[in-house]
Amino acid sequence: MISPADTLIHLLPEVIVAITGAVVIVADLVWKRPDHVRPGPRPWLAYLGIAGLAAAAVVTVAMAGRSAELFEGLVIIDPLTTFFRLLFLGIAAVVLLVAVDPLPRFTRWDAEFHALVLWCTLGHMLLASAGELFTIFLALQLTSLPLIVLIGYAKRDKRSGEAALKYLLLVLVSTAVLLYGMSFIYGSLGTSTVAEIGDLLAGMTTVEPVLALGLVLLLTGFAFKITAAPFHYWVPDVYQGAPTPVTAFMSVGSKFAGFALALRIIITGLHLPLNWHVIFGVMAALSMTIGNLGAIKQTDIKRLLAYSGIAQAGFLLIGIAALSESGVAALLFYTVAYGLANLAAFAAIIAFAQSTGSTALADYAGLGRRAPLTAFVLTVALLSLAGLPLMAGFVAKFHVFLQATQAGLVWLVAIGVANSVVSLYYYLRIVWQIYVAEGESAPLALPWRSGVAMGVCISGVLILGVYPEPMLTAAAHAASALFGK
Amino acid sequence: MTTLPLMSIIVFAPIVGSVLIALLGRDPRVPRLIALAASTVCLAAAAYAYATYDRVAGGLQFVESAPWIPSLGVRYIVGADGLSLPMLLLTGMVMFTGVLASWNVTSRPREFFALLLLLVTGVFGVFAAIDAFALFFFYEMAVLPMYLLIAIWGSTRKDYSAMKLTLFLFAGSAAILIAICLVFFQVGAGTFDMRVWAEHGFGADFQRWVFLLSFVGFGALVPIWPLHTWSPDGHVAAPTAVSMMHAGVLLKLGAYGIIRFGVTLFPDGFASWATLIAVIGAINVLYGALCALNQTDLKYVIGYSSVSHMGYVLLGLATLNRFGFEGAVFQMFAHGIMTALFFVLVGYVYEKAHTRQIAEISGLMRRTPLVAAAFVIASAASMGMPSTSGFVAELLVYIGLWSLSPLLAGLVFVGVVITAGYLLRMLTRILLGEPSEAVAHLSDPAPVRLVPVGILAITIMVVGIFPSSMYETIRSATGPLLARVMGG
Repeated sequence: MISPADTLIHLLPEVIVAITGAVVIVADLVWKRPDHVRPGPRPWLAYLGIAGLAAAAVVTVAMAGRSAELFEGLVIIDPLTTFFRLLFLGIAAVVLLVAVDPLPRFTRWDAEFHALVLWCTLGHMLLASAGELFTIFLALQLTSLPLIVLIGYAKRDKRSGEAALKYLLLVLVSTAVLLYGMSFIYGSLGTSTVAEIGDLLAGMTTVEPVLALGLVLLLTGFAFKITAAPFHYWVPDVYQGAPTPVTAFMSVGSKFAGFALALRIIITGLHLPLNWHVIFGVMAALSMTIGNLGAIKQTDIKRLLAYSGIAQAGFLLIGIAALSESGVAALLFYTVAYGLANLAAFAAIIAFAQSTGSTALADYAGLGRRAPLTAFVLTVALLSLAGLPLMAGFVAKFHVFLQATQAGLVWLVAIGVANSVVSLYYYLRIVWQIYVAEGESAPLALPWRSGVAMGVCISGVLILGVYPEPMLTAAAHAASALFGK
Repeated sequence: MTTLPLMSIIVFAPIVGSVLIALLGRDPRVPRLIALAASTVCLAAAAYAYATYDRVAGGLQFVESAPWIPSLGVRYIVGADGLSLPMLLLTGMVMFTGVLASWNVTSRPREFFALLLLLVTGVFGVFAAIDAFALFFFYEMAVLPMYLLIAIWGSTRKDYSAMKLTLFLFAGSAAILIAICLVFFQVGAGTFDMRVWAEHGFGADFQRWVFLLSFVGFGALVPIWPLHTWSPDGHVAAPTAVSMMHAGVLLKLGAYGIIRFGVTLFPDGFASWATLIAVIGAINVLYGALCALNQTDLKYVIGYSSVSHMGYVLLGLATLNRFGFEGAVFQMFAHGIMTALFFVLVGYVYEKAHTRQIAEISGLMRRTPLVAAAFVIASAASMGMPSTSGFVAELLVYIGLWSLSPLLAGLVFVGVVITAGYLLRMLTRILLGEPSEAVAHLSDPAPVRLVPVGILAITIMVVGIFPSSMYETIRSATGPLLARVMGG
C-alpha cells in the first residue's frame, strides 16, 4: 500500500502541469490588460507555462527510476510513463513557444489558450499512465474537451468553427463507441483493470462474441485518436481548419497519447487467440497507403501534412503489429523522430504563415532564397519524415522495418517501403517549391521564437539521425516495462 | 602498412567540405576552392590506397571499425579490396575532374558545390562500407543531392527527369532494405557486418530469392533493362558534373552493389540466375546501342551508350568464369572514365554553343582541335579500340563470353558494330566539315577547363596500354569471388 504522500509525489509532474495551467489564468487576471489596448503577444505568459513544463520535466527525470502502481492499479508509473511524460512535456513546450506570435492574429484570450494546452497535456500524461478502463475514459475526456475548444479558437474563421464542430461530433461518436466497448468488456469479465483483463483473456481458448465485440469497439475508439485508417476521415478537415499551432499540437500530442494508451492495452491486455499481427498489420497498411495517396494531390501544406500524418500513423502501427518488445521500442523511437520532425515542420509553417498569411503550397515558391534557414529546416524536417539518412526518420523507419521483419511481417515491410517511395514524391514536391520554383524574392522576416523552436527540433532530428544510440536505449528501456512482467 | 585512416578520410573529406562551404561560402569564389581541396584530398587518399594495396595478399585492407549504433548491432566498418579500390579511384577522379568542369557554375555556387560534395560522400561511403547498414545509409544519402542538383541546375525536362531518377533510385533502395532486413535475421548474429554474413551458409531458396531482390534493387541503378528509362533522361537533364558523377560513378554503384552484396553473399542464388542476367545484359547492349543510334541530342547518345555499355558488366558476370568477372569490373572502371570524359566535352560544347543537337554542330575539328581529339579518344574507348581502357574490358568480357557460348558472343558482337556505327556517325557529323553557325565562335577552352579533359583522356590511354596494375587489383578480388561462386 502506498501512502497518500507517496502517491502525490509519484503524480507530482501531473500536479505541476495542472497547477501551472491555473497559475497562467490567475496571472492573466492579476495583470489584466485594459480592454481598449490592442492585443499584442504576451510572451511572458507562455514562458510561465514553459517554466511549469520544464519543472515537471525535471521532476519526471528525477523520479525516472521509480515505478509504482497507484490507486490499486488505476495509474501505473513505470519507464514507459516516464518516456511519454517527457515526450508530451516537450511537445507542449514547443507548441506554447511557437504559438506566441500567431496568437494575437486570431484571439485576444491568450492565457486561456496556454492553460488549455497545458491541461490537454495533463490528459495526455494521464493516458500514458492509465491502467484501468474508466481512468482511461476520464483521461481521454481531459484531452478531448480542451482540444475541441482549441480547434475552434479562431472564432472569426469559419473553417476553425467547422473543424471544432467536426471534432466535437467525432469525439462524441468515438467516446460512445469506446464506452460501449468498455461496458461489454466489463460485463463479460467483471473487471476493468487492464492487467486483470489481460490475465483473464490469457486463460481463454475461445472468446465470447460479446467480449470480442467489446474489444473491437475499444480498439476502434483508439483508432480515431491515432488517426489510423479507416477511421481517418475527420483528419484533413480538422487539421486544416484548426489554428496552425493547434494542428501542430494535435498532430503529435494527441496522436502519441492514443499510441501510449493503445500500447498498454494491447500489450498488457490483449492476450487473445486472435492473429493481432494481421489485424494491426492491415490497419497499418491501410493507413500508410490511404494517407500517402491522399497526400499526393494536396495543394495546402497543412492538409498535406494531415494526410502525411495518417501515413505516419501507419508506420507507427507497424511497430505495434510486430507485437514484440523490440517492435514497441522501435515505435517509441519513431514517435520521438516523428515528433521532432513534425514540430520543426509546423514551426516553419507557422513562421511562414505569420509573414505571408498563407498555407498554400504554391506560395512556398522561392522560400529557399527568401528565408534560407527556415527553408533548410522545413526541408530537413520533411526529408526526415520521408526517412532519408542523416535524419532521425531514417533510423526510425529502418528500426521499425527491421522489427517487422523479425516478426515475420515481410509483406507489411514491402508495403511500408513502397509507401516510403510514394511519400518521397510529395515531400520532394514541397522541396521543389522551396528551392526550384520561381517565386517572390523579397526576404521574409520570421519570428525568432519559431526560430528557436525550429533550431531545437531540427538539431534533435539531425543528432538522432547520426547518433541515435542514447535514444534507442531509452526507448528499449521504456518498452521493457511493458514486457517485464 | 599505413596507420592513416584512409577510408574515413575519403568518406568524410567531402562532407567536411560541404559543411565548410555552408559556413564560409558567402563569397561566390570560395565554394569551388573548398570543393577542389576536398576532392584533391579524396583523390590523393584513394590513389595512395590504390598504390599501397597489397595485391598478393588480397582481401579487405585499410579496415577501420568502430561501434556506431550498438543497440541495433550496427558498426561503422569501412575498408577496401580489389573490387572497391578501382571504384574509389574512379570516384575520386570523376569528382576531381567534375569540380574542375564546374568551375564556371555561377548560379548558386554555394549550394551546388555543397550538394555535390554531399553526393560524393554517399558514393564513397557505399564503396567503402563493409557494414550493410552503413552501405544502405550512404546509398540513400545520395538521393536528395541527386534530386536537387538536377532539378535546380539541370536542363531539358529537368523537373520530370529529376523526380523520375530519384524515385527509381529510392524504389531500388526499398528492395535492398527488405533484403538487408531478411538477411539480418536469417544470419541471426545481431550484426550487419557483411564479412560475418558471407560466412553464413544461406539455404538455396533463400539465396535464390534474396539475390533476385537485391539484383532488382541495385539493378535499377545499373540500369538493367527494363528499369533503365530514368537513366538517359537523368543524364541529359543533369548539369555536367552531375552527369559525370551519374554515368561515371552512380551506375557503378548498382553494379558494385550486385557484386558486393548479391554475388558475394548469395553465390548459388547468383549462379542460378546467370542465364537471366546474361539475357538482360545482351538486351542492354543491343537495345541501348540501337536507341543511341536513333538520337539527335549528343547527351542522349552518351546516355543510351551507357545503358549499352553497362550491359557488358552484366554479361561478364553472367559468364561465371574468370575472364568475364575481370572484364566486368574492368568495364566498370573503363566506362566510368570514358563516359565522364564524354560529358565534360559535351558540357563544354553545350555551354558555348547552346545546343546539343548533332544536326546543328559540325566542324569542331577546326574550331576546337583539342576537344575534337578528346572526343576521338573517348569514342575509341567506347568502341573498344586497342590501346584504350575500353579495349581491355571488352576483350576480357568477350573471351569469357566466347568460352560460355559462341552464339551469345556473336549476337553481342552485333552490339559492337552498332556502337561503332553511332559513334562514327556522331563523330563525322560534329567533328568534320565546315564549322556550323552554332560553333563558329568556339575555340579550345582555357587551360583550367582542359585539365579534366587531359586527366581523363590520359587515364584512358594509360590504363589501356598498361592495364596490369588495374588488372592485378581486380583479379585479387574476382579470383576469390569466383571461387565462392563455383565452389558452392
